[in-house]
Amino acid sequence: MNDMRIVERTVDTNQAKMTARDVQVYYGDNHALKDVSVDILDKTVTAFIGPSGCGKSTFLRCLNRMNDTIPICRVTGEITLDGQNIQDKRVDPVQLRAKVGMVFQKPNPFPKSIYDNVAYGPKIHGQTRNKAELDEVVEQSLRKAAIWNEVKDRLQAPGTGLSGGQQQRLCIARAIATSPEVLLMDEPCSALDPIATAQVEELIDELRSQFSVVIVTHSMQQAARVSQKTAFFHLGNLVEYGETGQIFTNPKDPRTESYITGRIG
Amino acid sequence: MTDLSHSPASLYAPDARTRRRNAAEARFRAYGMIAVGIGVLALVILLASVLSNGLGAFRQTFVVIDVPIEAAKFDKSGTGDLAVMKKVTTVGYGTAIQAALVQELAKAGIDTKGMSAKDLKGVISQEAPATLRNMVLADPSLVGTTVPFYAYANGRIDGFFKGRVTMESAALDSNISPQQLVLAQQMRDKGLLTLAFNWGFIFGPDASELRPEAAGLGVAILGSAYMMIIVLVLALPIGVATSIYLEEFAPQNRWTDLIEVNISNLAAVPSIVFGILGLAIFINLGGLPQSAPIVGGLVLTLMTLPTIIIATRASLKAVPPSIRDAALGVGASKMQSIFHHVLPLAMPGILTGTIIGLAQALGETAPLLLIGMVAFVRDFPDAPPAGFFEPASALPVQVYNFTQRADPAFVERASGAIIVLLVFLIAMNAIAIFLRRRFERRW
Repeated sequence: MNDMRIVERTVDTNQAKMTARDVQVYYGDNHALKDVSVDILDKTVTAFIGPSGCGKSTFLRCLNRMNDTIPICRVTGEITLDGQNIQDKRVDPVQLRAKVGMVFQKPNPFPKSIYDNVAYGPKIHGQTRNKAELDEVVEQSLRKAAIWNEVKDRLQAPGTGLSGGQQQRLCIARAIATSPEVLLMDEPCSALDPIATAQVEELIDELRSQFSVVIVTHSMQQAARVSQKTAFFHLGNLVEYGETGQIFTNPKDPRTESYITGRIG
Repeated sequence: MTDLSHSPASLYAPDARTRRRNAAEARFRAYGMIAVGIGVLALVILLASVLSNGLGAFRQTFVVIDVPIEAAKFDKSGTGDLAVMKKVTTVGYGTAIQAALVQELAKAGIDTKGMSAKDLKGVISQEAPATLRNMVLADPSLVGTTVPFYAYANGRIDGFFKGRVTMESAALDSNISPQQLVLAQQMRDKGLLTLAFNWGFIFGPDASELRPEAAGLGVAILGSAYMMIIVLVLALPIGVATSIYLEEFAPQNRWTDLIEVNISNLAAVPSIVFGILGLAIFINLGGLPQSAPIVGGLVLTLMTLPTIIIATRASLKAVPPSIRDAALGVGASKMQSIFHHVLPLAMPGILTGTIIGLAQALGETAPLLLIGMVAFVRDFPDAPPAGFFEPASALPVQVYNFTQRADPAFVERASGAIIVLLVFLIAMNAIAIFLRRRFERRW
């Protein structure tokens, strides 16, 4: 569909897709995230790890301004996508979220047909001109999400009738149907069994060729398996950020070492 | 405490503590069943009394006679000109009915010695001449023919066949004499008098105190229907819009808190207060007509709004936030996420709330008394929208009206009206259940 962009992006490889500078997040009086600065590279899987309540999901939700929906939440600092500040007043979060898609912790397909689930995003953004194009987008998205073969014969069946792993892959298909540039995943495998988890992880690796993927995970093994870059959060601080191999084998910060060896968390 | 773990008791014999717990549970179950039993018993008694009193209203005693409509008398122009035909009043039709009755009685060989023509005519309702006149004016081709006419029998005669009036009570009654009852019995034996289903009770207008046999619910049903239309058209959109705004868009501050508290309070305001409000605002200030369905509908809308708002907000709240997140996550605007995803999921709850609100409004009496719907209305209102501004009655008010009247025949009619009201309420609840099932099945 958007071949132009894909060509452009291959040139951008290893360049920062999103950058965050001195991001602070407050929930009411609670300072949840302190001075987070990070560069998220294009065509890379970046993993956020850390104990519960460390702010990794909060930060993820800043990247597509989902925190706007929480009335008491306040975000300061600068977050850019392709050099444009997404915190700017002129930015419509709706447009931003079409470029920065999101997959949630719990599979949450719409209570509609599988087809409608995937077609919804392209439809509301007016990305397709006719039914044939929409069909094509739906098929491509389901294929990319590695679920096409399982559902191609029952596209009109309700999405809520699928198994948990299939539902999560459907949600991934739904998120990539709008051809986002960044895909945010908030613990996408926490509700899945090991087989479904393996399928989703494999999928994440494939998606890397087209998108920049940011994944929040509780499982350090998962972070080590799928990501190229890892960021460790602790008590609202970004403690360490670097190559995944380096973080897991040779962490610079003692807190990171404590966490990955299981002493805190 | 430590003794328990060393208790040597057998598993087959429950210890004292377990027995006490089991006894407490059994007692609690018994209380519950007693409570349910009392409720069911009360319902059965209520329904039995209403049905036993009211079913009679649906069957009525009719006098069946053939009335010749002579052209010379009833269509003097001979051209079927309605203006000329309307000059013949009910008195003219009354005379014709009386003559026909005398003739039929003679033909059937019933001895009427000692009874005046007026006594004979007393068997038939005073409503009959007007009914016949309306029939002829509605269909002028009847002139010149002999019309098989089902006239209401006098309410006392009807009561005699339903066991309400006896020879003893008739002797003390100025409206009926024992001779007339004997005559009625003879007429029944000869087939001149029959008990039949009374469509007039459902479709006919109300009748005066002296003609209980002719009293019907038509105007009241129509008035109630008009009000329900107004309530539905106004309360549903306003209520749903308010709920969506308060639940999804409104900032959480002191003002919205105040509004929320007041909506809850509004639901608890006695209905008569809404009646006074309607009287003061819609009639005195707004200049709307009294007794009109439009005013009743507006007042009932105000009463129904809190119910709809509370039900809608509850069902909006019940939609899992993950659905909202999912919609926002693919880049839907807030409005799109609500209208495409949240609202359809909340629909069964909204519809149920709305119909329960409507059912409440349908049964509401007090506010309608204050805005003049208690008036005696015999003329059917026009079709909407003009009919919204014409006087009408309402079903619950009609029940109240019937119970206020002295004639014992109205007791049965009040219960009959309650049955009709209950049928409508049950129908509305059935629709609510149906819609709920239907919308839920889609997801």
